[in-house]
Amino acid sequence: MSRLVTATFAATLALAAALGGAGAQQSYPTRPIQLMVAFPAGGSTDIAARIVASIAEKELGQSVVVVNKGGAGGQIGWTELTRQRPDGYYIGFINLPATNTVILDPERKAIFTEKDFVPIINQVLDPGLIWVRADSPYKTVHDLIEAAKKAPNTIRTATTGILSDDHLAILMTEEAAPGALFRLVHLEGGAAQLKEIMAGNVDVAFDNVGSIATRVKSGEVRGLAVLDEVRSKFLPDVPTMKELGYPTVISSSTRGIAAPKGTPEPIVKRLREVLKKAMEHPDHVKKLEDAGIAIKIMEGEEYARYFADTHAKAKKYTEWARNRPMR
Amino acid sequence: MDTLQHLTDGLVAALGWQNLVFALIGCVLGTLIGVLPGLGPAAGTAILIPLTFRLDPTGGLIMLSAIYYGAMYGGTITSVLINVPGEAASVVTCFDGYQMARQGRGGTALGIAAIGSFVGGMVATLALVVVAPPLARVALSFGPPEFFALMLVGLGLVTSLAGRSLLAGLAMAVLGLLIAMVGIDPVRGAPRFTFGIPSLYDGLGFIPVVMGLFGVAEILLTLESPTRQLVATKFTALLPSREEWRRSVGAISRGTGIGFVLGLIPGIGAIIPTFTAYVVEKRLSKTPEKFGQGAIEGVAAPETANNAYANAAMIPLLTLGIPSSPTIAVLMGAFIINGLTPGPFLFQERPDLVWTVIASFFLGNALLLILNLPLVGLWARLLHLPHQYVSVGTLLFCVLGAYSLQQNVFDIAVMIVCGIIGYGMRKIDLPIAPLVLGLILGPFIEKSLRTSLEMSGGDFSIFFTRPLCVALLVIGALILVASALRLAPAEVREARDAN
Repeated sequence: MSRLVTATFAATLALAAALGGAGAQQSYPTRPIQLMVAFPAGGSTDIAARIVASIAEKELGQSVVVVNKGGAGGQIGWTELTRQRPDGYYIGFINLPATNTVILDPERKAIFTEKDFVPIINQVLDPGLIWVRADSPYKTVHDLIEAAKKAPNTIRTATTGILSDDHLAILMTEEAAPGALFRLVHLEGGAAQLKEIMAGNVDVAFDNVGSIATRVKSGEVRGLAVLDEVRSKFLPDVPTMKELGYPTVISSSTRGIAAPKGTPEPIVKRLREVLKKAMEHPDHVKKLEDAGIAIKIMEGEEYARYFADTHAKAKKYTEWARNRPMR
Repeated sequence: MDTLQHLTDGLVAALGWQNLVFALIGCVLGTLIGVLPGLGPAAGTAILIPLTFRLDPTGGLIMLSAIYYGAMYGGTITSVLINVPGEAASVVTCFDGYQMARQGRGGTALGIAAIGSFVGGMVATLALVVVAPPLARVALSFGPPEFFALMLVGLGLVTSLAGRSLLAGLAMAVLGLLIAMVGIDPVRGAPRFTFGIPSLYDGLGFIPVVMGLFGVAEILLTLESPTRQLVATKFTALLPSREEWRRSVGAISRGTGIGFVLGLIPGIGAIIPTFTAYVVEKRLSKTPEKFGQGAIEGVAAPETANNAYANAAMIPLLTLGIPSSPTIAVLMGAFIINGLTPGPFLFQERPDLVWTVIASFFLGNALLLILNLPLVGLWARLLHLPHQYVSVGTLLFCVLGAYSLQQNVFDIAVMIVCGIIGYGMRKIDLPIAPLVLGLILGPFIEKSLRTSLEMSGGDFSIFFTRPLCVALLVIGALILVASALRLAPAEVREARDAN
């Protein structure tokens, strides 16, 4: 219902803008901007997108309408985004490395490549986290890895889906600790992991800090390691894999905004400025931090380089995942 | 005693005019979301989350919860009136609710649904207060292997839905399972039956398929005979007759029990409880042949079950922090964005908030009843519009609904094609219910089987070493044997009776 109202509202605004701006000086934006989210309404990307949109539209003087194009692990939405006219009126969220694995998995037959996006700005970088039940025998990552070496392929290890960042992180851990082999259980997401860990149906879970940080803090579950260069500000007591001697195990899930290839540079620049302002706004910062989600603004070159690095890394582990016998 | 004190405090807080207004707004919005097919409670709740940023957390959560169970009732309205399930959990209500409407008993169907929903919601909330935490722990022991066994029991129930021909029923169930196979397979991540179309990677959407099979097929049937009246007789009563009451009491109490128990198991979704409640009533009925022809129990039981489920499903969220359905996951997102993590600690940290929200469930259920009973007459009057308007309106409604799911035109195409298939099935008298059952159970069966085997490293003994799983498999086997005997050819049955 409300979406209809929003759509009608947006259409009305568009009409008003078109009529009003007819003779006047044309300056971007003159009509509402659509901000695509490649996941259904209510997910964490969506909620954070709506917060950004509500702040950015005040700055732009045009409404920013969040459009959910969920499905196929994001593929539907990203296909849609890359097919849009590159005029700055349709931009969308990309989720690295999920966007990369969709491109890289040959079975997906994605009709877009990494070159079809113009990365504008990154919003969130949520590092990976290895966690277990509070009463688990694995007190440290060392315990876990020793156990996985002693009895390979017996420790039931939950991902949040095939080729998710968590799946790749498990492969990175196996690579960094030769001889350790985990028994992969692909679950549907953080909620399923929590259920199966609590019930004792899986032994360890790989997920992201944002999904479980509050429960680590309250002592319901135990965090073993953060998969980042530095400790998470939400979990200052949990060591990083780097500290523990596994410097290659770096994995995270990010969300940022991109435009279709060919979007003129002045428009990209304007969007970058406005979106940066929105992301630095106290309302945005507070809402996300309350939920344990780490904001990491990366713009222009930096973000483009991060995109390329992530792509190269995802390529290696996607191929490995497809060839690993027990996946 | 402590609980009682907390609950009383919560009730007092929930009765504050502000919170009451939030509950009322939530119920109204929820009903609307339920009425609009496609836009289900999960998406509806999600879209309204930003609205709650400006409210205090208690008010926001009261409103979102009210939207959630309001939608559970709202979905009934279109199921009964135009044979279009407003949301997934109302599919079963189409079976008998729409038939009742065609016999001029639409008001009664909506009335009993409102009353059943009220009873189911109230009892489940009461149980939430009294016995929640220990029960939730027990329900956790329901892992993937148990889930798989339970789904097999569900599949065994298909014989009860078969209609005139068992063979046709089984064939339709298999067709449902096959349709459920479309999409990216959960074991190797390979696309199946997708023809390279990304829109098919997630499979055919359940909602577009059932909207087609029921709603669009119905419109096509109406086209066939333009003079056909949607409603045969004049709409009379809102409240059920004495006889209908008598038949509904059992259905409502069993529906409450089924909805509540299944609501405790995370991940089961709202449709399976309604199907189970329906099949149980049919099995227990002295007149099973009346099911599908407008049996009031066929409306009362599932409608009660889905609201009992909706309220019971809050138990795993509040006690363990585990969201048991997509809608609840969205609600959990709303808690978290307000800086509250649902789970055992929330009861200790913010008992005031938790108990106010729980108390608001009671008020919300009461509000829904007060709100909906007077509206029943209004809704039912819609059917007295000339049928061409109703048909066009329904189709428009379906198209909007299918599109609103993911803003994808593909879903509209799926719905139309399923409408044509549904029309064909009605013409040659193939039962639709088993197909829908196969469609619902298919993904669950596959996912739980695969997760179980991943857990065990490919060893099938996992199904025979867990007591609860074994018990469920035995029940499933017994149901199959009983059905086989009941549906065996006459000669076999006579021979058995002679012995």
